[in-house]
Formats: sequence, structure tokens, C-alpha cells
Amino acid sequence: MVQKPLKRTLSMILAGALTLSLAACGGGAKTDSGTDNTTASSGGDKPSDKKVTITFQNIQPDPSTPSYKMTHAIVEEYQKANPNVKIELDTLNTDQQKMKLKTQAASKEVPDITIVNPAAQMKPFVDAKLLAPLNDVIDKNGLKDTYQPGLLDYYSFDGNVYALPDGNNIEVVYYNKELFKQAGIDKVPTTFDEMLADVKALKAKGITPIAIGEKDSWTGSFLFMNILLRTNGGPGFLKDVVDGKKKFDDPAFKLAVDRFQDLVQAGAFPDGATSIDANAGGNIFKSGKAAMWVIGTWETGAIDASSVAGKVGAFQFPTVDGKGDLNEFMLAPGSAFAVSANSEHLQETKDFLNYFALNLPKKQFELKNAVGLGQKVDGDLKAAGYSELAIEVASLFNNIKGGDLAFDNTMNPATAQVHLSSIQNLFVQKADSAQVAQEHQAAFEANK
Amino acid sequence: MNVLKVPGRTIAVFVLPCLLLYVCIVFVPILVSFYTGLLSWDGIADAKFVGFKNFVNMFYNDPVFWPSVRRTLLYAAASIIEIPFCLLMAILLNRYVRRGNTLVSIYFTPVILSVVIIGQLWKTIYNPTSMGGMLNGVLVSLGLESWTHNWLTEPNIAMFCLYFVSLWQYFGYHLLIQFTGIQNLPSEIYEAAKIDGADGFKADRYITLPLIVPILKISVVLAFIGSLQAFDLIVVMTGGGPAHATDVISTHMYNSSFLSMKYGYGSAIATFLVLVCLTFTLVINLIFSRIEKKVG
Repeated sequence: MVQKPLKRTLSMILAGALTLSLAACGGGAKTDSGTDNTTASSGGDKPSDKKVTITFQNIQPDPSTPSYKMTHAIVEEYQKANPNVKIELDTLNTDQQKMKLKTQAASKEVPDITIVNPAAQMKPFVDAKLLAPLNDVIDKNGLKDTYQPGLLDYYSFDGNVYALPDGNNIEVVYYNKELFKQAGIDKVPTTFDEMLADVKALKAKGITPIAIGEKDSWTGSFLFMNILLRTNGGPGFLKDVVDGKKKFDDPAFKLAVDRFQDLVQAGAFPDGATSIDANAGGNIFKSGKAAMWVIGTWETGAIDASSVAGKVGAFQFPTVDGKGDLNEFMLAPGSAFAVSANSEHLQETKDFLNYFALNLPKKQFELKNAVGLGQKVDGDLKAAGYSELAIEVASLFNNIKGGDLAFDNTMNPATAQVHLSSIQNLFVQKADSAQVAQEHQAAFEANK
Repeated sequence: MNVLKVPGRTIAVFVLPCLLLYVCIVFVPILVSFYTGLLSWDGIADAKFVGFKNFVNMFYNDPVFWPSVRRTLLYAAASIIEIPFCLLMAILLNRYVRRGNTLVSIYFTPVILSVVIIGQLWKTIYNPTSMGGMLNGVLVSLGLESWTHNWLTEPNIAMFCLYFVSLWQYFGYHLLIQFTGIQNLPSEIYEAAKIDGADGFKADRYITLPLIVPILKISVVLAFIGSLQAFDLIVVMTGGGPAHATDVISTHMYNSSFLSMKYGYGSAIATFLVLVCLTFTLVINLIFSRIEKKVG
């Protein structure tokens, strides 16, 4: 008789403990995610003096990079000058940030400041009205005039600017002067046929001609698009396709595919390129094992910090079959800072972003990271002790006549994915260019 | 239940928390993902209801879908074929090795390692000769240059290289399950059988095999479901490339929803994957209950 009630009480207690602990878990999570909101709303009523927390999602996780130092330095300065503002950095690497932002966007909880990519890639966010127009931000303190002419267009929709870029880069060919000399090449190629000949000469010496990490398929596409920019005789091929003026079976596109395959057939790329990720691909060049690297100028600083520093030069992508202009580049307007339209304290966030964008070029210049900035900066590179390569690259910027954006900045994501794997396929097997063109066209029409 | 005389209320109290949790984090999301599969949605803007269009596209218009299903099923088949080998190994270890536990622990090590580490490790083993890949290096030193390949980038063989890594990793896992299963069999039966003249492989055939069936079932179900969901290893080693040559259902689903930003379509694939998992679990259970009835 004693046993039974005891058993029952015990079981009740245990069950109670179980449910309680569950409840505790749930409650804990709730309060955790709630803190941001409570501090946020308390600061939302009046613009000044009240305590305000701004969440700043950013993609600078590596403390050794200049961009990391720049971000932290400006944030600290601003917090010192405005003690009521607390800026909370939500630091992620690029891919993680893209993923997190998409998840946050699905539940309409975009952080106060976040990172978006130009043109087609940020359009879904703008269409969903998640981003606040920043026209008032660029009009304040003359911020607008610091940007290179035309750059903000990539971040503008219907006459409103929705994001402020952290840079503006172009695609160039970096080359290792020492390895070129070893293969007996005395001048940089200006035509595609010269480039092919150089590839063969390098290959004969057992040197990997062009470094690439094609597991991340954007790298091959970025190079391919440069060939297309030439065979099309100028920029705008993809735009014409989108506008219905051209189709992918255009001779320019097919020629680009064929010429790209010539590079592959000549053995220009490392063996097993499609299993090498982009960083490792870059390291092939930066460790002096490959002679060329076709990549954006954002790598200038990293090359200067690597073991091949001082041996590297840069040149424009050559013309293809006499078509194209050396001074037209693949353009890579940088990732950009955008403000959430639903921010609890929009004004404070905008004020901070204005300060941040104004100080970004100065800080980057001081940190020797001024190549590929999207904003004008006062100061002489040479006097500031920049490397020869940095000065050479900077001089290429002066001659830009125009160019194209990367494929995934122009086309919608679904078409871009088909394109990326189609180009990746060229690395491992020969394909009929008409077939490739048809594959692109079909994907474009299916995902219009 | 009646033997224990536990009142229904108590049972409810004990079962409810788990049941609620299960319904909330497993069952509801499956239903939600089925519903999302009926939408045309980029994950950000407003969704549009399109009925079964995603499913129709998936079955009839997607050149990547069926090959990835085929690869997934091959993956599953390969991991099931592995199990008899694990069983044989477990029997041999039990019979001929005095302290089998140590060996089993060693076989088990790859299971503990993170898949990312395994992937990186095997990537270097599979690397092309020019990058110092170990496998090719061994082949060259044996004078078998003609056998060398770019293992992970030749579309025809890349997938098989991935199967192999997965088999290698989970060999110890299934070995452990079956080794323990065999150890738990009562030794009296064997002693009695020995007196009756059943020894060695005869004993295996008529005693071990029938008694180990429930354990085999666990192994088969785990192997099957595990390989249907294979994802991390492939992402680390090839990312589904070159040109979809190593895409399986789960990587195709990931690419569709997160890279092509077709959440609705990705959810349709997810629904298909769930259905395949459920069907095959049922089928496997059915087969084994038949076998158990037969031998039991």
C-alpha cells in the first residue's frame, strides 16, 4: 500500500521535471532572441540620446585583413563619438552571410545593416521591399560625389539607391614574371593566340599555365565571360539576351565557348581543376606554381602579402580573334551595405552608414588597401608606399572604357546555376558549342 | 501494459512531451515542406501557388533529377552490399581474435572523424599526379601509369570514388553493430551445437545467421537511410560537380533551393526524398519481418 502512491508521486515528479526542463529550454530561447528587440524598441522613439543598438552584419571575419581592421576601427570611432549608439557586429564569412540573410529575409527579419551583391543578385530583396532607399544618406555630407561615376547605378532600382558598395574591381590577368622568363616569354600576350602560344610554352616547361579553382564554379565563368566580352566586340551581350535582342546561339557566344575550350585543350588549367576550391586555386598562383591567374583586382593585396610578392605583374585580358578592346573589363562592383526597411531605428542606422561610408576610403588607404576602392581618395599611392603591382593595377583603372558584370549579377539565379555547371563541364569534357548555347537558351527561357 | 497496471494518464504524461516535440520539429515541417513544394517561391518575395507544377517539372523536365535519383539508389545499394562483408568480418573476429574489441575500436575510428576531415583526407589521396595525389603516386610507383586517373574530376568515375569513401568510413560502424550482436548471443547454444556436430561455418549458417537477423535489420535500415541522405561528404569533396556528375537527391535539393533560389522546387524534391525514405523503410521492415517469421 505504501509502495503504490510512492511510485505514482515519483512518476509524476519525474514527468513534471521533464516538462519543466522543456519549458525552460523554450523560454530561454525566447528571451535570448528577444533582447535585441527590447533594446531596439526602447531606442526607437526619439532619434538622439536614447540608447540604441544597431546590428551590423558584415563579411570580414579574418582579423589579419585590412578590411577587418577598417570595419572595426570605424565602428569604434563612431561609438566613441556617439556614446548612445552601440553597434553590434554580426560577423560571418561570405557564403554563410548569403545563407543567413536569405533565411532572415524569408521571415522579414533583416538586420539593420547587411551585405548585398549588385544588380540581379540584390533585386529580389528590393522587390520584396526589404531594403530602405538610401537617397538621403548619399546626399548628406557630399557622400554621393565620392563614388566613381556610374558605380551607384548597379545598386539603384527605379531611381533609388538601395546599397553603398565597399569597392569596385575589374578582372585582370596577373602573371608571374619569373615563370614567364623561364618559359622564354618576353612580352605579355595581347591577343588570344599569343596567350595560347604562351600556355603551350609554359606547359612544355612543366609549369601550370593558369591557376584556377573551379570547384567554386564562378571562377571559370568569370574567365569565360571575359572571352565573351571580347568575341561580342564589346559589353552588353547578356543584357541583349535579357531584352530579347539576341539569343545564346549568337555566333559571339559560340565562338567564346570554342575559344574557351581551346584553352582547356591546350592544358592551360591545373589537373583536376573542378575539385579545387577557389582559395586553393588562388594559392597555386600565390605559391609560385602557376604562371597566370585571371581574377579580380581584389586579390592585389593578397598577392603582395604572398611568397610571390614583387615577381608579379598584371595585364589586360587579350583580344580574341581581333575582336574587343583591351580597355574593356569584366567589372566587379563590390558587395554593398544595405539598410533594412523595417529597422527599428532607421535614422540612427542611416547616420552611422553615412559616417561609415565617408570614412571607409580614408581608412582603406591608410591600411594599404586602396586598390579597387569604389570611392575617390586623396593621396598618392607611390608616396604612401604602395607596391609596384598595386600602382600598376591602379593605372589600369584609369583606362576603363566600360565592361560587363559577372553572369550571376546579370541573370536570375536559376539561369546562372545552369550556366555555371555548363562551363564547369567544359573543364572535364569537350562539348559542342551549339549544344552549350542551346542549354543556356533553354534554361533562360524556362526561368524567365 | 496491463501487466504493469500503469494508468493511461501516466502513460500520457510520459509520452506527451516527446510526442509534442516530435510532431513540432519533425512532422509539421514535413507537411510545411510539402506545401512549400506547391509554391513558386524564391524564398524572399511573395510566393505563388502553382499546384503540382514543381512535381511535374521534377519528373519530366529536369535533366539532373533522374540521374541524381539513380546515383542515390546506387549509393544505398552499395552500402547494403557492404553489410554481408561486415558480418563476415565480425564472425571471423569473434572466432579467431581473442581480444576483438581493440580491433573493432580501430575499425570504428573513421566514424568518429568529422566528415569534413574525411573529405579533405580523401581529396588529397585522390588528387591528380601533378598535385601529388597518393593513390596515383602508388600506382605510378607500381608501374601502373596507365591506371592513374583524375579520380574526382572524371565524370564517369568520380561518383564511384565517393561511394568508396563512404563505404570505408561506415565499415567500422556496421562491423561494431554486428560484432556486438554476435557477442551477445548465448554461448550455450554453440556448445550444444558443437556436441551435435555443428561447428565452424555450419554453426554460423544455422545459429548465428538466424539469431542475428534483428541486428542485420538495424544495420540495413541505418545504411539505407544514411546513404539516401548523403550530403556532407559530397559537398566537401566535389560539390556535386563536375557538371552535376556527382549530384545526389539531397545535393540537388540544396542547389535548387539555395543556389538557384527555387525554394518551392527544392521543397518538392525534399518531399520526394521523404517519400522515398518512408517507402523503403516500410519495404525493408516488411522483408525482414517475413524473414524473421521464417527463421524464428
